[in-house]
Amino acid sequence: MKKHIIGTSLACAGLLTATAACSGSDSGSKSDGPVTVTVMTWESAQTNAAIDKALAGFKDDKITVKRVDTPSGGYGDKLASLTQAKKLPDLFWCGNDTEQQYTAQGLTVDWAKRITDGDGDFKAGNFVGSAMENWKTGDGQMGGLPSLMNTYGIWYSVDAFKAAGIPEPKAGWTWDEMYSAASKLANKGGAKYGLVADNLTSADAPFSMSMYSVSAGGAPFTDNVNHPTKAEADDKYVEGVTKLAAAIKSGSVAPPGYDASNVQALFSAGKVPMMVGGQWLAAGFQTDKPKIKYGFAPFPQVNTPTTLYDSVGICTPKYTANEDATYKVLQYLNTKVWDAVLPASPVAPPAYTPAQASYFDALTKAGQTTVVDTVKADLSAEKTVGVRFTTTWASQVADLTTAWYQPILSGKKPISDLQTYVGKINDLIKSAG
Amino acid sequence: MNRSRVGMSRSAGSDTRAAYLFILPPIIGFSVFVAYPLVRSFYLALTKYNGLTDPVFVGLDNFRRLFTVDPAFWPSLKATGYLVVLYVPLSLGLGLALAMFCNQRFAGVRIVRTLAYLPVVLPAIATITLWKFILNPQVGLANTILAKLHLPTSSWLQSPSMSMPSIVIVMLWGVGGTMIIFLAALQAVPTELYEAAKVDGAGPYSVFFRITLPMISPIMLLQVILQTTAALQTFNQPKILTGGGPGFSTNVLMLSIYNNGFSNLGRIPQLGYASAQVWVLFILIIAVIALTAKFSSLWTYSDNTPD
Repeated sequence: MKKHIIGTSLACAGLLTATAACSGSDSGSKSDGPVTVTVMTWESAQTNAAIDKALAGFKDDKITVKRVDTPSGGYGDKLASLTQAKKLPDLFWCGNDTEQQYTAQGLTVDWAKRITDGDGDFKAGNFVGSAMENWKTGDGQMGGLPSLMNTYGIWYSVDAFKAAGIPEPKAGWTWDEMYSAASKLANKGGAKYGLVADNLTSADAPFSMSMYSVSAGGAPFTDNVNHPTKAEADDKYVEGVTKLAAAIKSGSVAPPGYDASNVQALFSAGKVPMMVGGQWLAAGFQTDKPKIKYGFAPFPQVNTPTTLYDSVGICTPKYTANEDATYKVLQYLNTKVWDAVLPASPVAPPAYTPAQASYFDALTKAGQTTVVDTVKADLSAEKTVGVRFTTTWASQVADLTTAWYQPILSGKKPISDLQTYVGKINDLIKSAG
Repeated sequence: MNRSRVGMSRSAGSDTRAAYLFILPPIIGFSVFVAYPLVRSFYLALTKYNGLTDPVFVGLDNFRRLFTVDPAFWPSLKATGYLVVLYVPLSLGLGLALAMFCNQRFAGVRIVRTLAYLPVVLPAIATITLWKFILNPQVGLANTILAKLHLPTSSWLQSPSMSMPSIVIVMLWGVGGTMIIFLAALQAVPTELYEAAKVDGAGPYSVFFRITLPMISPIMLLQVILQTTAALQTFNQPKILTGGGPGFSTNVLMLSIYNNGFSNLGRIPQLGYASAQVWVLFILIIAVIALTAKFSSLWTYSDNTPD
């Protein structure tokens, strides 16, 4: 009996040792043996199937690529638990804020040197410049690489605009024109509001409003979303907030608190004539065919074209078993996989510019020409502003926004309180060092 | 005699050992799953901890931030209090009314009981999601019916003043759970009391307030404690229906704790800070239960009272 217990214990110890050896905890080691690189995405089952198909084309005798299945809906929770358990896959889909925060905590591999000194076409210069800049931490590290760009604009119902006798939005239209159109479209054809603009009324709203002030020649809400030194609301910014608050008060723009979770369905059904949204909605519209004829226009401007920039990417944990192998797969994902995935589901333009052709071709083939024009205009916009702070204390700013900025937009607090709100954010920036 | 004593002593010793063995599992369970997390969470409440790097002791700083800096804390507390005040009396009143109705003898009473209890056994997430569609102000069933009846419609979950009452309506959908306990209590009231009251000429009002209510008052106390505790820990409904909004109007403490402790998509969690919030909630629950228990003797009937 005793022998049996000792034997079992030894077997368990051996198994544990073997498991530990296989878990790849030898950070950044370069093994000559076969290696498995794991990948985790937040994509739908359909897109994941296309990714799997594309990954099957990755040929390297020593590297096996395995995609880890995860429910796309619970991605955030999954990521959090894997991070805490130190079991993150070698490559995982991540937002810019995740990359910045994880890198600041020393959780990711720094790819900055590899991508700067990259061989062939896979180098920093071939990525969208603003995205690369935004994926660098204050000390120049890159805990991941941007993979897809997010551009934003105004989705509009061509039918509703025609019925109201308003010219369709196009590049160069102004904020005043947008609010005027919203007031004419409100309460018509089953629509309550003329414009649903979640980006202008949600927790990210103060950053989006920078588009107005910067376009008018003023200052953005913050000097840098990654490592800010200050927030401000200058005269132009206050002007922009005042106009939006007036449009909300008149009932032409949906107020803060409007549940935007099903706005896409309402837009498709013709119950929302104009909405702020990302280019990724085009892929859904291609499949689900809205009841209305629609278009996608750039954000309005005051003087200079200004838009929001944002990107998502792929991160790697510090404890990846074999950095070289992981980087090879990362390169393959960025350079080859989108070519296979985007024609079927054109969600976003790749950050790696040589891979963008397949995205634009797919949209053109589907007749989504306004989307092509707007995404191209956004990618080449003269001025861009970040969508939100990516710092570890960003959630505290979101609470301040709920407590101050949103009541200002709703008319429950005076516009003058904007300076108090900005002051509180500056206190936060100062205390965070 | 001596041998017999020794035998008894041995037997008592083995009984004691057996007793300890029997109570060992719950003691281990309590230590591992209650006592340790409680102590650990109190320690974490005094630290800056994100679950990724080692905790850093910061003393009472998390509590200072909670009470003096965090713009979400007081509104969260207010929202939680509002929910309790709104939900608990309505749940008890409706639960008792339903139980009394289901305690009658009429054809199909079993079907009515089943229907009343059915929402409790349905998956909560599915029913709450369904309610989200029902309460959609633009295309939801609630406003469609109200409009057809030429009654005023509402923004429901999207209105700061209606969002919490809407959540309470959704919570009351599960009142069958309260009903079933009241029903059991009602059926335990001795029928002789009702018969005696009938002989004495008592009307339904007197019967309810002088017999039924006093007789079920211990169960009522239990229900008050259970419902208050549950209301203080409400999470599913605001999480799914409103995400805490509009503004902070439905950002109850549990949701706030979740958002800080298990933050959105890839953001670094604030587990130390969330632990401080947990302790505030814990103390709140203890205080409410203690107050309820303290004043319960004023309105509960117990037949164990000495003559």
